[in-house]
Amino acid sequence: MKTNNKPKITLFYCINAFMESAPVFEGCSIKTIKMACSSMTKDIFLLKAFEAGADAVLVFACPEKQCRYVEGGIRARKRIEWTKHLLDETGIDGRRLAIFNTDIKDPKAAGKIIRETIELINELGPNPAA
Amino acid sequence: MIVGEQKPIKEIMESVAPYKRVLILGCGTCVKTCFAGGEDEVEVLASALRLAFKTKKQRSIEIEELTIERQCENEFIQEAAAGIGRNDVVLSLACGAGVQAMAERFPAAPVLPGVNTTFIGIQDRPGIFSERCSGCGDCGLARFGGICPVTRCSKKLLNGPCGGSQNGKCEVDPSIDCAWHLIIERLTELGQLDNLKTYIPPKNWQTSTSGGPRKLVREDQII
Repeated sequence: MKTNNKPKITLFYCINAFMESAPVFEGCSIKTIKMACSSMTKDIFLLKAFEAGADAVLVFACPEKQCRYVEGGIRARKRIEWTKHLLDETGIDGRRLAIFNTDIKDPKAAGKIIRETIELINELGPNPAA
Repeated sequence: MIVGEQKPIKEIMESVAPYKRVLILGCGTCVKTCFAGGEDEVEVLASALRLAFKTKKQRSIEIEELTIERQCENEFIQEAAAGIGRNDVVLSLACGAGVQAMAERFPAAPVLPGVNTTFIGIQDRPGIFSERCSGCGDCGLARFGGICPVTRCSKKLLNGPCGGSQNGKCEVDPSIDCAWHLIIERLTELGQLDNLKTYIPPKNWQTSTSGGPRKLVREDQII
């Protein structure tokens, strides 16, 4: 699936928020990391994804108020905001990192997010640190 | 604990720019608790610097990561010796005391600060820290119900509140609790409000930093 020309996206997702399916990932080279909860996202994992060459990093969390650990999505969102600020400081551009609340029953919405992310990468260019 | 915050990446990049091999040295005590310089912060800063150098300077930087228990004590500092020997510079994420202890212990190695030491304080709740002690050298907490007006009153008043306190908040900044409001509430609860009848003369700042750098000597501990 990997090709050098396709935008590289690393996706961290909560198993309750998203289910992997090939059509969703069309047009990009994807690396996925499955998590028991989006709150397992940490700044260092996100930065390492960029160090590994990702052009964009996405986090899929459960819809608001549907986290089975109550505040997992809230914690993840705060960490993403913090890491976006670090990415801006490093010159990577915080827009390359984003979190979305996704419904496991709505793969079309997830596909739309991936397509919009590919468009964003095309606009920003490849990861400048890759 | 001593509270600090990490310096901006841009400032850190400028300070390490002349060097090729950098040891980022964390401190596992105070600055770890306030998320400024523990093991996790060392790892994140190392990653951020690698990304930043590749992006902005178009060159790579060799970074070694290490965190020792305490940079302000000689017994722990020795653990960093080998790492210091392998690198051109030490980027210390300790407080100012830790940075200076490292610089004294390893005079041949440049030691740079990666943290701005901010104050002596406590964690109010996760992620929020506030100042509690100015290290004035003459603690009067017994008189004030355990609440320090030297640190927590914006005007450092020692004989009661000013006229600017409103609804328990300070006129300097309404997000600051009025220390004297807290002191009176606490002394009332303790039944010690009479403490305030004793006039406190102007504070003698000689025990603070006004007399130059301070030194504490414990003869019984000197070998």
